[in-house]
Amino acid sequence: MNKRTLLAIALTLPILALAATAWMKSTQRSSGAEVALPIEGFDPRDLLSGHYLIYQVDYGLENLCAATDVATAVCLQPERLATPADTVPADCKLFIRGYCDSSANFNAGIERFYIPEEHAAILENKVRDKRGTLVLSVDPQGTAVIRDLLIDGQPWQEAVKAPN
Amino acid sequence: MSIMANKLQRWVQAGLISPTQHEAILAFETSHPQRSNWWLYSLMILGSAIIGLGVISLIASNWADIPDTVKLAANFTLLALLAAGIYWQYPNQSQGVWFEVLVVGFMLLCLASIGLISQIFHSGGAWYHALLFWALITALLSLFAHSLFTRFFWVTLFLSGLVWSIVAGVGTHFRHTLDEFPAALLLAPLLAALLYQLALRNKWLHGFASSLFFWFQVGAVIALVFADIARSGGELLDYQASRYLPAYIVAALLAIGILLQQQYRLTNKLLLLAALALLLLYYYPDLLFTGEQRYSLFDTYDHETVSFWQADDVRAPLLTLAILFLYAIHAGNVGHQRTFNLVTFLIGARFVILYFQAMGGLAATGVGLIISGGLIMGIAWLWYKGRERLRTWSKELQA
Repeated sequence: MNKRTLLAIALTLPILALAATAWMKSTQRSSGAEVALPIEGFDPRDLLSGHYLIYQVDYGLENLCAATDVATAVCLQPERLATPADTVPADCKLFIRGYCDSSANFNAGIERFYIPEEHAAILENKVRDKRGTLVLSVDPQGTAVIRDLLIDGQPWQEAVKAPN
Repeated sequence: MSIMANKLQRWVQAGLISPTQHEAILAFETSHPQRSNWWLYSLMILGSAIIGLGVISLIASNWADIPDTVKLAANFTLLALLAAGIYWQYPNQSQGVWFEVLVVGFMLLCLASIGLISQIFHSGGAWYHALLFWALITALLSLFAHSLFTRFFWVTLFLSGLVWSIVAGVGTHFRHTLDEFPAALLLAPLLAALLYQLALRNKWLHGFASSLFFWFQVGAVIALVFADIARSGGELLDYQASRYLPAYIVAALLAIGILLQQQYRLTNKLLLLAALALLLLYYYPDLLFTGEQRYSLFDTYDHETVSFWQADDVRAPLLTLAILFLYAIHAGNVGHQRTFNLVTFLIGARFVILYFQAMGGLAATGVGLIISGGLIMGIAWLWYKGRERLRTWSKELQA
């Protein structure tokens, strides 16, 4: 293989890898079951980091994390319960995989929402007031991806235009 | 060229070269200009890097009014255009700077693309996974880079991504804790040294050797300084073997690499292996360290309930000095002049700090300050005069 061919491969490889990543994320987002869960700032003093909101999803379960640093799943249907990730009940139709971190917070890779700089302050305030809901797409393997952020049931783009 | 012409003139006057040779050298240098001016190269690449950072900043500002598909399409179009430009410039790569500038721009845009995809799809991934992914997809392209800057840039991000990904991989999800920090500090120089050995053995990877060696040395100094400060303060007692497992595996591979290194003689191998073993010992608390200190740097009294040799703030500096001394002998032995000077300077500096640790109360007084000043001057003088003798001795050690 001559060097020029190798260069062509070296240039094509990153483009293909990035395109595949974008396509995969897009497919995950468009397929899967839709779930809406309320969110709240788990540290109200530091809700905004750079240009994204960080929050805790409210799964409607008390003491979701019984242990720290352990892979966990949250079953959403037919009933809500937390379970070790490798022993999800067979009758659980919809669940989200994640882990309980060292602070006993459940993380499923959906605890960050990127926002434009100019709307950061207003969105931060609304999420702090517990007016935010996260719309997710959850696939049968329990992987959740974010579809949208709703404020008072409206897409956040609408909410930032509203006076309150 | 004028500097060279002046030098040549002086050499002719000193009778070192003949006027004919003088003319011949000047004619040769005029007909063989340098590949490019280094300052032009540096500024062009710097400009490219700044443009890349600008693109990243634009993406980070997150223009919500632009549809996601348009953002992605613009991003991939720009990537494709840069790729075409690099391919088009390839035949001129040995002469022109544009090839290198475009390669840096393309690499930065790949990094920005990862950020853009994360932003659009709200991925919650870790930064080190993003860096490692970027390094892997641009690895083949980095082999085509000629500029030291480009290779250094790639190696820096690759090492950062790899070290933290490994440490996070064997540990727990540590987004909310820095417990794995010491393990990462130990792993970084060992991994850089191992990769440096691999780079020396493979002609494709030769271009990365100097960058890897740089990060090995910087990483080793940081790891040593961190361990010294932590141990001297009675810290770093929380030890979990699983966190350090990658460092131990890499250390074992590194030791095998040192033993198989044909350029090193037995003395060098033993020196390096001893320094490696002592560095690992530094991060292991149960053998050497008690968690108790004898001296206090800021208080006016000492904790003399601990015996001199039992105190961590005595053992830690001694271990630091032993590691530095072993490495200084090795560096002097293989002719690494700058490394030798740096390491012997660090030895001198550590002696001074050790004095302040042990004599902290006295140093606060006028007499103490006079003695301290004298000691600093004395150690600096001893270092300046003694390093030549140490280098000569380390070279003679070979014979």
